[in-house]
Amino acid sequence: MWGISVTFDSFVSPKEVTMTLLSGFRREPEKTMKVRQVAVPILIGFMILLSATMGFANGQKEGTQSSAAPAAAANSSMPYAGQEITVAFLGSPAPDALISKFTDSTGIKIKWVYLGWDAMQTKITAAASANTFFADVTDVDWSRVGEYYKTKWFVPLNNYFDVNALKSDVPQISSFIVNGQLIGMPSDASIMLTTVNTADFQKAGITTMPTTIEEYTADLKKLQSTGVNQTPLGIPFAAAEGLSTYWYETTGAFGGEILSKDFKPLFSDPGSAGYKAMEWMVNAYQSGLVPKGYINTTDSEEQQSGMANGQISTIFSDYSGNVGTIYNVPANSKVVGKVKYIPTPGANGVGPNLGNPDGIGILKGSTHVDAAAAFIKWFDTTEIQADISGVSGPSLSFPWALPMRLSAIKALFSNNDLQAQTMYDLFSNHSRAVFPQGAPPWYSQFSNAVYTNIHSAALGQETVAQAIAAITSTVNNLNQNP
Amino acid sequence: MSGGSRGVPQPHSRNLGETNILNSNKTVHHRRVKRFGHYGFLPYVLIFPLVVFIGILAVYPTALTFIESFFNVNPLDPPVRFIGFGNYLKIFANPNVNNSWVNSMLYVGFGVVIVTVLAMAIAYALRENFPGRGIVLAIVVLPWALPGVTEGIIWAWIYNSDFGVLNSILKSLHIIREYQIWLSSSRGLTIFFIELVQAWQITPLATILILSSLQSIPGELYDAAKVDGAGRWRTFFGITVPLIRAGLSVAVVESVIVSLNIFDQVYVLNGNAATGSSIMLQTYNITFQNLNFGQGYALSFLAVMITMLISVGVLRLVYRRVEY
Repeated sequence: MWGISVTFDSFVSPKEVTMTLLSGFRREPEKTMKVRQVAVPILIGFMILLSATMGFANGQKEGTQSSAAPAAAANSSMPYAGQEITVAFLGSPAPDALISKFTDSTGIKIKWVYLGWDAMQTKITAAASANTFFADVTDVDWSRVGEYYKTKWFVPLNNYFDVNALKSDVPQISSFIVNGQLIGMPSDASIMLTTVNTADFQKAGITTMPTTIEEYTADLKKLQSTGVNQTPLGIPFAAAEGLSTYWYETTGAFGGEILSKDFKPLFSDPGSAGYKAMEWMVNAYQSGLVPKGYINTTDSEEQQSGMANGQISTIFSDYSGNVGTIYNVPANSKVVGKVKYIPTPGANGVGPNLGNPDGIGILKGSTHVDAAAAFIKWFDTTEIQADISGVSGPSLSFPWALPMRLSAIKALFSNNDLQAQTMYDLFSNHSRAVFPQGAPPWYSQFSNAVYTNIHSAALGQETVAQAIAAITSTVNNLNQNP
Repeated sequence: MSGGSRGVPQPHSRNLGETNILNSNKTVHHRRVKRFGHYGFLPYVLIFPLVVFIGILAVYPTALTFIESFFNVNPLDPPVRFIGFGNYLKIFANPNVNNSWVNSMLYVGFGVVIVTVLAMAIAYALRENFPGRGIVLAIVVLPWALPGVTEGIIWAWIYNSDFGVLNSILKSLHIIREYQIWLSSSRGLTIFFIELVQAWQITPLATILILSSLQSIPGELYDAAKVDGAGRWRTFFGITVPLIRAGLSVAVVESVIVSLNIFDQVYVLNGNAATGSSIMLQTYNITFQNLNFGQGYALSFLAVMITMLISVGVLRLVYRRVEY
């Protein structure tokens, strides 16, 4: 801009430029020189603008690269001091005190970026496929582990972590291993579990919490018939990922699995757990146990706010951490102190809690792989996991599902977190991976088929049998033509 | 190139030196007129930056997309290899994609009708000066400034089947007996309600385009029509509509392009459900969810071509040059 302005002034007055432009270029022959005086500055100005833009772009690139150089101040206790890594995290910013704590102990600076789930996945895909830099440390979703194994977009972490030693304290680590390769490290211990508004249950005369699906269904009907809640159950029926994971958890509760070890469908038979789970969910919607509007409700916000404002009394497949971070927060909830986790009712007693943990890994475009690994190691220590869960006070904590280590969950006991004991029990004794062998590489297409068909079945646009057949067909096609 | 005037003395020149300069300038001018036309090369210079930007940001990516659409580009199925029309054949055989094309055409149909009617009505109302016109204009323009996702969230609450404002109003007016599911229950209804949200966003732009055309119509034409005894409708269809065709065509093309590219509102209001899935949503799914970039390129290229075809068709049908 400055260049353009100065150039104009030195050749021809702005008024003359304006007049020439306004004249519709019907200039007289004697104005040839003036036209040149207009044209040349415009060209020069454009070139300056273009150069400045390219220079800016180069500067951006150089800025990133320059921090890759080993710091002069590096020493044996802080081998990566002076380096800066970009950490792209889901959802929320980290407290400044937490970032400072890391920098103080390692000398590594952090640029913290936080994004929503969809934006995160898109950026990872775009950066990895285009071989451009996005971040050193990014989210690794459990459902994409198979895909990342095949695309080799993430740096395997086996050289940085002893997987066998971690299994007892980090049981969900299996969700991030494919063919022995550790694609990412868990960053939380998110599991799917059942939450109930105990006050509503008591009002309906339900004094013992259900332990089987049959009892749970009977209790839902009792909540309805006693007038405590006409629509007590939350199921997010929008055609989105949350509906798929709800079905996986319900299938687990009915005593089965979704896919075999070689990714064949295990839900096609009407007697299978997956089939029964889908029938149960669709019947719940069509019989009015679920609010009608939940046909377009997603799990992450609307269903949880439905629980927080008392619209529904229970969620069969809720997420660990929601009681502490949503339902017990007075500013956002009308049910503070009323919602509890219960062992998930199963077909014949307590059912499993399937894990959907988030992880973190090192994207292959990282320019500071060792520094990034140092961050992951630090973040996954028992001390830091306890810190971010609030054990050391609010200055280091941020909204979090559940610490990724059992040892860190234990630390919550001392913080008078009464639900932590239940969580510890569910996590250590009942949790398992959705796909014990790792998610298939075509998971996204599979999940798309799952949620679109369950959504349609709930609306009556197809039967459960048709929905199951469509999903089965998708899996078979994907197995044949991945 | 004649150069015949070079060195010929000019009768009205004041001295020889000036004559030479004038002759020289005239010769250069004539040469350039022949090469660049009457306006010289200034117009080319002025559009040069725009051409470069369009070239870099539109033509080059489109060309690259077209070329890549003939290759298998899929990180899950390496290596990249030439497959001819393989990607096109696969997307034509994909029922989800075909369903989305139908949906997208419905979005365009609803979008063009809703936006055009609303924009014409609002622009017509805003044509006259009245107290508070500026405030009304500002309010009308407001939705234009909102991002699609924000609009989707706002309207999700309005359409909510359990406590949405739309249900509440319709029930209190006794138009419906019980709360309805507006989204997902049927394709037509779902697309209509989602497109309504987008129309809410793009109507302001269409209104301004039409309003500017309306305001450029000379008042004498209306006076003459009045003297000739033309009624309101006759005047509207005989004078107003023909004379705003330039602005109207741009507004219609704009609504075609935006409706064909609808994504945010669909994703927020209806997820990936087949009842409302648009072609852009399918492109996103194929490219970023399934990682099938080759098919994504093919679908993107088809979308660009179809957008261009419809836009050119609309321009040929609606646009007329107007000179007063």
